Amino acid sequence: MTPHLLSTESNVLSVALAGNPNAGKSTLFNALTGARQHVGNWPGKTVEQKTGEFARHGRRIAITDLPGTYSLSAYTMEELVSRDYLLDSRPDAIIAVADATNLERNLYLIVQLLELELPTVVALNMMDVAAKQGLQIDIPELSCSLNVPVIPSIARQERGIDEIVAAVSHASTLPTSACSLDYGEAIERAIASLLVIINDYIAIREYYAPRWLAVRLLEGDVDVAARLSGLPGGSELLPAAGKRRAELAAALGEDIDLFIADRRYTWIHNLAGRVVRAGSAHTMSNSDRIDHVMTDRRLGIPIFMLAMWLVFKITTDLSAPWVDWIDGVLSGPISRWVMTVLGAIGLGETWVASLLIDGVIAGVGGVLVFVPVLMALYFALAVLEDSGYMARGAFVMDRLMNRIGLHGRSFLPLMVGFGCSVPAIYATRTLTNERDRIMTGLLVPFMSCGARLPVYVLFAAIFFPRYASVVIMGLYLLGVIIAIGVGLLLQHSLLPAAAAPGLVMELPPYRLPTARGIGVQMWIRTRAFLQHAASLILVTTIAIWFLTAIPAGAHGTFANVAMADSVFGRASNAMASVLEPLGFGTWESGGALISGLVAKEVVVSTLAQTYGTSGAIDEATSNTFLQDLGEIVTSFLGAILDTLKAIPGLIGINLSVGDDEAVPGLADAIRASFTESSGGHAAAAGLAFMVFVLLYTPCMATIAAMRHELGTRWMWLSFVGQLAIAWLAAFFVFRLGVWVGGL
Amino acid sequence: MLREVLQAVEAAEGPVTLTELSRQLNLDPRVLDGMLEHWSRRGKLVVNSETAMACAGGLKEPGHCSCGSSASGDGCPFIARLPKSYAVFTPTEFDVELR
Repeated sequence: MTPHLLSTESNVLSVALAGNPNAGKSTLFNALTGARQHVGNWPGKTVEQKTGEFARHGRRIAITDLPGTYSLSAYTMEELVSRDYLLDSRPDAIIAVADATNLERNLYLIVQLLELELPTVVALNMMDVAAKQGLQIDIPELSCSLNVPVIPSIARQERGIDEIVAAVSHASTLPTSACSLDYGEAIERAIASLLVIINDYIAIREYYAPRWLAVRLLEGDVDVAARLSGLPGGSELLPAAGKRRAELAAALGEDIDLFIADRRYTWIHNLAGRVVRAGSAHTMSNSDRIDHVMTDRRLGIPIFMLAMWLVFKITTDLSAPWVDWIDGVLSGPISRWVMTVLGAIGLGETWVASLLIDGVIAGVGGVLVFVPVLMALYFALAVLEDSGYMARGAFVMDRLMNRIGLHGRSFLPLMVGFGCSVPAIYATRTLTNERDRIMTGLLVPFMSCGARLPVYVLFAAIFFPRYASVVIMGLYLLGVIIAIGVGLLLQHSLLPAAAAPGLVMELPPYRLPTARGIGVQMWIRTRAFLQHAASLILVTTIAIWFLTAIPAGAHGTFANVAMADSVFGRASNAMASVLEPLGFGTWESGGALISGLVAKEVVVSTLAQTYGTSGAIDEATSNTFLQDLGEIVTSFLGAILDTLKAIPGLIGINLSVGDDEAVPGLADAIRASFTESSGGHAAAAGLAFMVFVLLYTPCMATIAAMRHELGTRWMWLSFVGQLAIAWLAAFFVFRLGVWVGGL
Repeated sequence: MLREVLQAVEAAEGPVTLTELSRQLNLDPRVLDGMLEHWSRRGKLVVNSETAMACAGGLKEPGHCSCGSSASGDGCPFIARLPKSYAVFTPTEFDVELR
């Protein structure tokens, strides 16, 4: 028994409030102190310190709210702050707040607090929630086992507060005793031998609880050892503790701290088993029941595929009317207004007009028309993320990744790769295993990034209008399949793997997505795309316009030359022969693919520029400004109507009259060009083009990230390897389409 | 108990959910989470905590993440929000002449 002295400095009782995060500690603190509280930082730390003072039953109490922690191991800053306060300030009492719905986990900290031998009261909080969950807690048995008062409370409703204060006031006047946790014969013998030394030195035993100190020394706590090194007796105690540790390690065959922690967990588990009774309500949650199906080893992947199909169905079907609307506005009223303004300032028939109309509006506008597509995609993905399903998707996909020996952590960069390859490559840095890092980095580019989507949507709408969503999902799937194939190849050649170790994933509960959450995600991602369009894509389209305006030979003058005879046309034409076996061996395709190395969205803008679809932009139409505004509003209302008609189509009910094409002028030009280059197999060539875009190098930023993260050698392997895979896969798809499918 | 937890994670064939593992070990998932945390402190498990993981390597400055699709450089919008997970730590055994 250790006598505890009350603060003699004043009549104020100092109390520390300790507990796990989210145990209701702050609520209790507020209930106790009301407005009489002070918020600051712990000295020299960035951890928030809350103190307050109140009077009850004629007693003044100063209370300090310690940071929420799960233990007193001094591993985190919060733990260190809490432990230092309890050791150095020696409060008169502790209120240990425990979440009644999660008692077993909370007990770990409580047991450590009790070992400090300070007067302690356990506030068993959230009793109402525990009751709703059907939990029954045997409070007398818990109190008896812990050897301290346990007060049930509902801090949110200020219930149990008086009882807690009364218990603390009373406990602080009584002698304290150590917690009755038994660490087993060998450890207890070692504790006893250290207690003999500790009790010989008053400076140590009056400052630290002897048993707690002995346990901490046996656990090898370096912080506690440092505290003792300057005290009388420290020079005797520390070597003795070291000797006992060595003896115990030899006798037990494992680390002492692990052994002690294990004994604590076992003791707590047995105690919780005795005092907590789970009722019928405390069974599987709804999320658990849903997960039973969603993460099933056989059903998980098909369900994930179905979810992805729905995502792409929403992406293509619901956005189509808006793609048409933006295209109509850009190629109609906007282009006419620009022409009118240019004409008014005398630039109507100059190269400046061509730059703005054929370069900027055709190029950037060609990408901007796909903003609704991306917004629809971001909407669908945000719903999946906010509902909690995306975590399940990652879980089932991780099983696939395991097949190629990729360790659990690799799925993170791979998932990020579906958004953008650059941060995904950087994210591989967090993998501790070099082989995993390189393997994951090499596979990231096969995850189809968001920038490729406009290309898929354009080509799927041109060549597979009825099956656009299936084709797009198939492309994403093909990327994953190719990644697995490449992974297997690397695993059996350059990057052999050990067996993939285990991974435990904490799946969040399912919840209804909120409109605000979805809106914020959509806006943040769409804004990034618009910023990209306004910077990199704009600059690239201007550069390409200049290259198409400069004649390569004697034919033509600046801004007055056939595109095929321009610098860009001639340079791109060099690619045409390489692409010929793939069915799209034209200089326009070659040029688009080369410019796509800047960013994949540029593939579409370059196609829009090189096919010159803006040349015929309703120039014949001469509307007034008001007529143009009327046209914009009318087509806007039409787009709303078409979107509403498309919704039943998601479940197979077709209310749409026809299949309008996205960007009709460009679509006609691409179809005609591909028909000619493929010998009449335009659809096969279109599919091969999409496969090529899926598989060849994402962009220069990705290459730079790869060189930075993986090194030059792996960067080149990736660059050349992707080009080779893209060419071979596109060739295979085109030939298969021609020979088997007759596309 | 702690050893059983680590052994169960090491023996798992492929990924398991915290709920699955807690059922297997007859433990409350939150208690199991505490034990997994214990092993991560000892360096036997590596904990992945949501967004910080995906962004870690691309940090330009605290709280910001470089991204090929974010021209303004004020953060990548594609950072995946993925669940917390624990993986068995495997020491680097492949740091031979790879570069």
